[in-house]
Amino acid sequence: MDAFLTSRIISDILGGLTNGVIYGLVALSLVLVWRSTGILNFAQGAMPMIATYLGMVVFAHRLGYWPLVVISIVAGFGVGGVTERVLVRHLYGKPEINPIVVMVGFLIVLEGVAAAIWSTTPRGIPNPFSPIDWQLGGKPLALSPFSVYEIVTALVVMTGVAVLFRFTRLGLQLRASALAPEVSRLLGVRVSRMLTLGWVLSTGVGTICTVLVASNFFTGLTPQVMDGIFAFGFIAAAVGGLDSPVGAIVAGVSIGIVLQFVGDFVNSNAIIITALIILIVSLMVRPNGLFTKSTARRV
Amino acid sequence: MAWLVARGRPTTTAGLLVVAVVITSLVTSSPRDDVAVSLAFAVAIVGVSTLTVRGLRDAHPVFARAALTVVVLDAALFATYFFSSITNFNLAIGAAMSITLLGLSFLTGASGQISLGNSAFMGVGALSVAIWANHHSSTPMAVTLLIAVACGTLVGLLLGLPATRLRGPYLAGMTLAFAVAFTAIVNSFTSWTGGDAGLQLPTAVTPPHWLSSFFNAQTSLLTVNTMWLADITIVVTGVAFFFMANLFASRTGRAMRLVRDNEVAAELVGVSLPRARVIAFMVSSAYAALGGGLWTLINNSVQPPTFSLALSITILSLVVIGGIGTISGALIGGVIYAYSNNVISWFTQHTGINQQGNLASQLPGIIFGGLLILTMLFAPMGIAGAVRRLWARRRVQTGA
Repeated sequence: MDAFLTSRIISDILGGLTNGVIYGLVALSLVLVWRSTGILNFAQGAMPMIATYLGMVVFAHRLGYWPLVVISIVAGFGVGGVTERVLVRHLYGKPEINPIVVMVGFLIVLEGVAAAIWSTTPRGIPNPFSPIDWQLGGKPLALSPFSVYEIVTALVVMTGVAVLFRFTRLGLQLRASALAPEVSRLLGVRVSRMLTLGWVLSTGVGTICTVLVASNFFTGLTPQVMDGIFAFGFIAAAVGGLDSPVGAIVAGVSIGIVLQFVGDFVNSNAIIITALIILIVSLMVRPNGLFTKSTARRV
Repeated sequence: MAWLVARGRPTTTAGLLVVAVVITSLVTSSPRDDVAVSLAFAVAIVGVSTLTVRGLRDAHPVFARAALTVVVLDAALFATYFFSSITNFNLAIGAAMSITLLGLSFLTGASGQISLGNSAFMGVGALSVAIWANHHSSTPMAVTLLIAVACGTLVGLLLGLPATRLRGPYLAGMTLAFAVAFTAIVNSFTSWTGGDAGLQLPTAVTPPHWLSSFFNAQTSLLTVNTMWLADITIVVTGVAFFFMANLFASRTGRAMRLVRDNEVAAELVGVSLPRARVIAFMVSSAYAALGGGLWTLINNSVQPPTFSLALSITILSLVVIGGIGTISGALIGGVIYAYSNNVISWFTQHTGINQQGNLASQLPGIIFGGLLILTMLFAPMGIAGAVRRLWARRRVQTGA
């Protein structure tokens, strides 16, 4: 049994799962914004990065890890809400390239400002979880207390979002205003507030994800910490469907596992190339949303 | 000439000639300079007089564009004769960049698609030139550049085919993934591409003998070489802009603008959407590859890490700031790119920001990003669009 659990295949699956839940979280945060406001947020990695830096600066070395996590998430809510109110609000109803361009601009401004204030040197976030893999019969199992913490947190967040959308009044209002804004407004839903809330939630999820990534002993927090992960998260969201939270999470985890195998059995260059091929092939087979949208578009 | 005198504006032409003779006698110091300056002025005068012919722009638009290109090229080439080699180098880099910008401008402005992968297409062109030159060093430079353009077009086709079925955000994300994957792709074929270290050209591009001997003995080789590179780049840029101006105005260009504005209407009048999209994507990547190939010639080497996502974002910023879908916007963007570093370092010097500090190193990104947001929010057609609007308003007010 021990030999099986420490075998190459099981190690890759476990390692891939750890990466995959992170991609799934990024994809989920992209889907939340897409569903509420129809915008693909290219600053989805940079906004939580700022929030994490804020959490780190405010109480960094006094109160320990958990206050830092809480403050970062609160800062994430704030960053998301302010961004929607100040910047994104002007982009509704514009041609679809306008929000893309503005969010790309926002991405490099945020990364530039973060690097100007906090420099590009990685900053470790000390946390109570050991990054060292457990041993089974003298061989490492590709699982450490830290990766279990990552997986459990991600699952809790995903369940939380699902519960919020399925079983609460607020979730119903959020879904209604995304689906039929005019009707929801007539029925008394504060649609404009719901749009803001979509961004708040999305940046909150993103911040939890960024804190997890930055807490990793081997990564640390840098202004560009989420750049590569954003690319994988977008691929997961696009493959799963930008409209579907479940699709995003499933695609994120599967892509994480597939890429872990590719990285292990081929080489590290093949990882992003495989991801690109997966994206292109899946978009060619099922460019989802295209046809449903074109029938609904007014001429 | 007789035709010009008959249909053009003889007084203007004569006046220009007199001015030219006066300037020539003031500027030149040797008989060799005389020849160069006279030639430049002669071309400029014939070109400008052609442009003043009434009704030419309506009757023969292609001819008018050609004349305009010749005049602008003539002025630019004439200017490189006097510039320092640093200015000429910046000019060449900016001119090559403006070709790439024009490609993206066409893609976004004419067909309404957006690409964050144009740095990678530039990289394809840049590497193609270096790889071909290292394997077949005897190939003429123009042919090598055309091969680079062909490679760029081919890669554009490969990525453009799935792109035909994608709408804005999906396409932007897919091209972003391509830009991120580019370095990994290059590193997978290290024996060809040289990996991260890149490639050197086997022989530097040198001016032909007659040009070197044209200069005084005091003129350094570097000055002549840089001037020659700048001149080549400017001529290629002129040709590329001339083709694009015609494409914009052609049947294909009009069809693409219709695709951008109203897909359903476009399909109803018989425009094939996938065809229009894939052509736009291929043209855009071909132009990016040409710009990248010229960069390799100018730098005499290529470093693949240059062609990162950050460069793609810079390309997008410059297109937006210059003016999406306008020819002049791409030129404005190229000039901004060529001189932005000088302007920003001048700015840091005069505001007392620490030159080696974090803020100074991040300033270009912050400024470009900020301008990108502000332009998109307040003047979506960029500098070229804003100028055009002011011009139109003035004409309405003066009743002209």
